[in-house]
Amino acid sequence: MQTNKHAKGRGFSSVGKPAPRIEGTRKVSGKALYTADTLLPDMIWGKVLRSPYPHARIVRIDSSRAKLQPGVMAVLTASDIPNVLTGRRLQDMPMLARDRVRFIGEKVAVVAAQDRDVAEEATQMIEVEYQELPAVFDPLVAITEGAPQLHAELKSYKGLPKLASSINNVYSHDQWRIGDVEQGFRDSDHVFEDTFTTQHVHQSYLEPHSSVLSIDKETGVVHVWVSNKAPYQTKQSLSDAIGVPAAKIVIHVSAIGGDFGGKGALMDLPLCYFLAQRTGRPVRMIMTYSEELMAGNPRHASVIVVKTGVKRDGALVARQVRAFWNGGAYGAMKPIPSVNLPGAVKATGAYRIPNVRIDSYAVYTNSVPCGHFRSPGLVQLAFAGESQMDMIAKSLHVDPLDLRLQNALRDGDPTPSEGKNGMVDVKCREVLESVADSANWKGFKKSPGVGRGLALSYRNVGIGDANARLSVGPDGIVSLLITYADTGTGAHTILCQMIAELLEIPLGQVKLEVGTTDCFRFEAGTGASRVTFVLGQAVLNAVDKLKALIRDWAAAMLGVSAQEIALEKGRLVSKRQRSRSLSLAQVAAAASASGEPLEVESYHEATETPAEGVFTACVAEVSVDTETGQVHLRELNTVHDVATILNPVGHQGQIDGGIIQGVGYALTEEMVMEDGRVVTLNLGEYKIPNIKDLSPLQTTLVRGNAGAAPFQSKEIGESAISQVAPAIANAVYDAVGVRIMDLPITAEKIFRALRDRNPEDDASSREVVPGIV
Amino acid sequence: MAKLKLQINGEEIETEAKEAALLLDVLREGLGLTGTKRGCETSHCGACTVSMDGMAVHSCVVLAARCEGKEITTVEGLSQNGELSELQRLFLKHGALQCGYCTPGMLMAATALLRRNPNPGLEEIKIGLDGNLCRCTGYTGIFEAIQACARGQ
Repeated sequence: MQTNKHAKGRGFSSVGKPAPRIEGTRKVSGKALYTADTLLPDMIWGKVLRSPYPHARIVRIDSSRAKLQPGVMAVLTASDIPNVLTGRRLQDMPMLARDRVRFIGEKVAVVAAQDRDVAEEATQMIEVEYQELPAVFDPLVAITEGAPQLHAELKSYKGLPKLASSINNVYSHDQWRIGDVEQGFRDSDHVFEDTFTTQHVHQSYLEPHSSVLSIDKETGVVHVWVSNKAPYQTKQSLSDAIGVPAAKIVIHVSAIGGDFGGKGALMDLPLCYFLAQRTGRPVRMIMTYSEELMAGNPRHASVIVVKTGVKRDGALVARQVRAFWNGGAYGAMKPIPSVNLPGAVKATGAYRIPNVRIDSYAVYTNSVPCGHFRSPGLVQLAFAGESQMDMIAKSLHVDPLDLRLQNALRDGDPTPSEGKNGMVDVKCREVLESVADSANWKGFKKSPGVGRGLALSYRNVGIGDANARLSVGPDGIVSLLITYADTGTGAHTILCQMIAELLEIPLGQVKLEVGTTDCFRFEAGTGASRVTFVLGQAVLNAVDKLKALIRDWAAAMLGVSAQEIALEKGRLVSKRQRSRSLSLAQVAAAASASGEPLEVESYHEATETPAEGVFTACVAEVSVDTETGQVHLRELNTVHDVATILNPVGHQGQIDGGIIQGVGYALTEEMVMEDGRVVTLNLGEYKIPNIKDLSPLQTTLVRGNAGAAPFQSKEIGESAISQVAPAIANAVYDAVGVRIMDLPITAEKIFRALRDRNPEDDASSREVVPGIV
Repeated sequence: MAKLKLQINGEEIETEAKEAALLLDVLREGLGLTGTKRGCETSHCGACTVSMDGMAVHSCVVLAARCEGKEITTVEGLSQNGELSELQRLFLKHGALQCGYCTPGMLMAATALLRRNPNPGLEEIKIGLDGNLCRCTGYTGIFEAIQACARGQ
């Protein structure tokens, strides 16, 4: 079994090179096929009617007028479809609202028509009588006894995690403990408690959720094209929702126009099925961007309370974090078994803390159901924790860098995430020192309105399973067949580079094909930073098997034993008689001719997260206009702890993209809500960074030798985002002395804070009287 | 429905569309040219950008009927005789794309920019691509590709 310990030295021929994307030519030519590019004959449109109320009983639905509209082919409400709840784990979400609606934007009815405008107009002719119910939008209110209970039937739902709580509207309570925080606070010289809030943000992939579904008239097989990166789970979920056996559903994996965690749920697929079934036509549904912003599955808004006890010398003694996730009306969009956020386990940060307590609550409210978005949970928690570190540093009159260095995780330090043995080869200190160096932290000359802030974070790869099928054709082309979707990360290219490297062939001799869910039994799919780690390993294992198979064939063809055969630069060479060799093509041709084409398959499952941390730190430099509160981001310095870089262009691309998402999160992005209604319903009002927002970014890589993923590589996809917002918040404080504890950091908030500031306030952390917890 | 005569990628094309049809829909649905993407459909994201008489326009807000007599170029028209344009090649080289969804629009906007201004500075590139959003790349690779193209590499 091949492990990831490959070629510790440098001198790779393919891995480590800036290979252009293998699917790149298709993408720049407009030939890459995304879901909405699948144009089937006689395809019709589906359009939904959505709830205008955050919480209401549905008294009556009358779709008779809509049904009579010329061109309308079907109108469906809940009474027309099975009474089945759906969800990636927790199945709590109806496909169409049955007796009540729980958020503005919840689907109430669906219309099919040949013409998209006809379908859309017909939805407006469906009469729905609602009886409004009291609604709740704040998770801290939702958990109180008197708040409306949004899911009376919670205990009957499939997929309910064992961590379900008895607290009102809490459906998941994840918790971790190390030591005794109460004792820790008593042993502390200072105890600080601060509350931070973060906003809903949308992944803002350019491709809106799209679904295309066709039922084969003869076989009844359901053919699906969908912007979804977890095809096998989705196939199963769809099967459960529509009552068709999974064996009769095929998902054709398409290119995906951006995911960032947001494209894993069923969305409109079941409705496409029912419409297709009703009309006998293929159906497509494409969310408008208003629908995305209203009813996608954005990042959870949160209220996070951080309580930290320190000794007067700065040593962290105890940290308690309570995170209240505003999960919205349904938990259906969350994929992990606990139906909580995976980042919660790292709530206490990259620090050595002997006493720790984390409580992570997923709370129902009458707002948009939330899901995963690049480093889910950790982005919000890093903003809270890393802001407080600076507030503590200020109170203790120490440099924020020094406070972090003093408490930085080392090899073997226990953490809630890695357990009592902690991590190996920890680069926490090195990353801090590196960012201090590259940003010239100690030498920075302050000027009025200009400031710097620092933040530190860590995460790791994800686990799961993956399949790979590898074959060689008589033309010598090595083909990799996978069903992990291309979401833009560059994973497909890396896999081909690995194959080229190990078979010692040019990259151009490797081809990658993306199949359908008929190819394999099951696998986890793209996400969780698992692809290089898990699918990469599956590919390595497949290469091993293929090499053994090729050697056997070559040996037989050359009349020597298999041990006599060496693979050198893509040729099979007899070690004893080096003039006797065969090309891959020759071996493949012979195998094919004998009726046994060269093909191997490999399934790999990683069940344990490696005891490895991937550390990152960021220094942000801002200038703040004290008259308007406007923040100008002057520079960002980011440092990443890496080992082998499989593709430097792709690697830097993940950093660039993650950082700018962090900038948007910190400064400009907010799904503004008014009583549960998303007000920012287009990409003009929901402001993601555009090209004019580009600020200078310095990237420094701290290079180690060991990485848990193939070729000693480390995670990058979700690493470059969490530290940006706190670094900016800390920089704003450094610049003008105001502490913004509620994202995003807008000019209005800074302006008001400057205006309302009492000269005696020094915006340091709120110190709880020691001994009172 | 009304007959439409359009000039697309150098070809005269006759098609039929509703009077109020948008150019984006005619291109994708009517003509099967799916390279031009459906993004926000409110003229903010630029995924639908095509070139009309050399100018970058958001086809999601352009009436197809208004395009008669104009030269429309889509991403499919950038390569000549199966050869990628220099800008397309440089996009690949400089990591100017990841998921690729904004890419056709970016290429059309950048092509129009370089046509107008073969040697744009940083600020001019920012203005020229102000109408095109990208969520994956952080824009750096896109800058580099455009600058490299301007330098004639």
